[in-house]
Amino acid sequence: MRVGIVGVGSMGSIHAAGWAETPAKIAGFLHRTEAGARPLADQYGGQVYADLDALLADVDVVDICTPTHLHHEMVLKAAEAGRHVICEKPIARTVEQGQEMIAACKAAGVRLLVAHVVRSFPEYALAKAAVDRGEIGQPAVIRLARESSGPRKAVNNWFLDLVKSGGVILDLMIHDFDYARWVAGEVQTVYAKSIWNTQATAESPADPVRDHGLAILTHRNGALSHVAGSWALPPPEFHTRFEIAGTEGLIQYDSESTKPIHLYFHKEEAEEAPAVPRPSSPLSESPYTTEIKAFYEALVHDAPVPVSAEDGLAALQIALAALESARTGVAVHLEPLPEVPS
Amino acid sequence: MRIGIFSVAHHHVDAYVGNLRAIPGVELVGIADDDQERGKPYAERFQARFYPSYGALLAEGLDGVLVCSENLYHSTLVEMAARAGVHVMSEKPLATSLADARAMVDACDKAGVILMTAFPMRFSAPMIEIKALLEGGALGQVYTCNTTNQGQMPRHHREWFVDKRLAGGGAVMDHTVHLADVLRWYLDSEVIEVYAQTNHILHADTVEVETGGLIMLTFANGTFATIDCSWSRPFYYPTWGGLAMQLVGERGVVYVDGFCQNLTTYGHPEQHTAWSYWGSDMNQAMVEEFVAAILEVRPPAVTGYDGYKAVEIALAVYASAESEQPVALPLTVS
Repeated sequence: MRVGIVGVGSMGSIHAAGWAETPAKIAGFLHRTEAGARPLADQYGGQVYADLDALLADVDVVDICTPTHLHHEMVLKAAEAGRHVICEKPIARTVEQGQEMIAACKAAGVRLLVAHVVRSFPEYALAKAAVDRGEIGQPAVIRLARESSGPRKAVNNWFLDLVKSGGVILDLMIHDFDYARWVAGEVQTVYAKSIWNTQATAESPADPVRDHGLAILTHRNGALSHVAGSWALPPPEFHTRFEIAGTEGLIQYDSESTKPIHLYFHKEEAEEAPAVPRPSSPLSESPYTTEIKAFYEALVHDAPVPVSAEDGLAALQIALAALESARTGVAVHLEPLPEVPS
Repeated sequence: MRIGIFSVAHHHVDAYVGNLRAIPGVELVGIADDDQERGKPYAERFQARFYPSYGALLAEGLDGVLVCSENLYHSTLVEMAARAGVHVMSEKPLATSLADARAMVDACDKAGVILMTAFPMRFSAPMIEIKALLEGGALGQVYTCNTTNQGQMPRHHREWFVDKRLAGGGAVMDHTVHLADVLRWYLDSEVIEVYAQTNHILHADTVEVETGGLIMLTFANGTFATIDCSWSRPFYYPTWGGLAMQLVGERGVVYVDGFCQNLTTYGHPEQHTAWSYWGSDMNQAMVEEFVAAILEVRPPAVTGYDGYKAVEIALAVYASAESEQPVALPLTVS
């Protein structure tokens, strides 16, 4: 199986590291500039492609790690070329785009796998399994938090372009919208606010790099979820927390209190923090690699996938409702998404 | 100074008796309760004089009284004290209706007596430190707050805590007021809009009131803040619950936990993990403030009006949960 990776930012490089742990062959990379893709091609082997058509002609699977607003067009091209697709989250920038992508992949008979990596994090997977085993009874109140510094890029910082990325609500909080739905089922209403939304004025647009969002969800089964997402911490912090309160018990997790290692070195000068911080606890296998291995198994051996394209679409619908609520100030009621025809 | 206690319905009286006795120059004159069956043994247990009627205790001549009845009866007892010219500290929530809360504030104003609301978080050392940090401008403008005041379902303390009529509601009425008050204090701004969702999944078989609640407050200064008021701590949780806040502002993010100054004990006898609080006694500081305000003839640090505004927010939570859309404040007194 030959994999081509599109986009060589933070996710492109971490996916490459994951593919390197599978029997799949990394065929090569595509980036806006050849020079940008060269370092990953040198590190993992494979070539640097001139354009998407050249990449698609040379691979079985395309792994799309580009900015959110580019997913739609690239996935449609991949489907047209008959290539299986891995697509970073969010699946798309709009629900209609996502529906069209799912329909196109179905029609072309190719898989569309959405990289909601949180489902591959062991602490999140363990809590979900405990809930499914009934260990805490019926979930009633869920709290999820994902807090880091804002994404920094010297050029083309698309994260800070709300039209392209959807900001902290769509890019970051979508992880926990997906997790909330995974644990407590379909979402019914969404109410949200974010700093960017409340502070921005025509005269003085707020700085989305310090954004912070809070959302209240209701699930169709009556459970409530509180979702917090932040780009307001100073680098290099990345904190994640959750708790699930159920009728028979309570599960809690906090990345800060489960850190196995604390380092307090004297520093001569401030070290460079990563441009796009990622959560990390020492593990024998990175959750990103776990995710890529699951995708490999799904594609080669038809194993069940940790997250379906429809799950990715449902998470997008919740995140877009949160953006709408933050913009309008009213609670948004979600209609069930129609099944995408094959 | 002569202080009395009206009603032992609330288990906080346990603390207040000791708090009063620890203050030099304060005399606990006695404990009154119109329910002799609960009041008399209680007073005996604490070696306090028992009065079978509130009027009988007032007749002894008091400077101040702590009202610790069921929430529904706060207004009657506060107004009775005000008519007698006695200063009052009332348990929270101040009342179960906005009309009652308004009447209490007005009665005390008219009588020229202090009405203090028992909001102990205002006297918590970590919470005070954050207030000072905010006033010093360390965080800059506060944009948003993510706050929690979760606890065990409190029926094991008193049955009336889960009685909608006597308590005014469930988890929302019990827990919203503390953080609503701290947020008003920290932000120095009033709430203009409330959105909330509540549910009744935890303890659904045993209580009729709501046990889960998530709330979003929007303040006049633009700050938005969520409160989790749920009774979501199991009975075997290491302590009763807690209160914690995250504040996100211009210059960074701060966290404060009002109840993490604990020892952890893994005890053979209970086969259970317990947290024992060693932080400063906020109840003591709160009762001392009541006494000091009386002595110094000044308004207390937290007033009846603060209690009124917190009740207003809690009532707006119920209205929003009912309509499933935001509710504008201030509410009108019906």
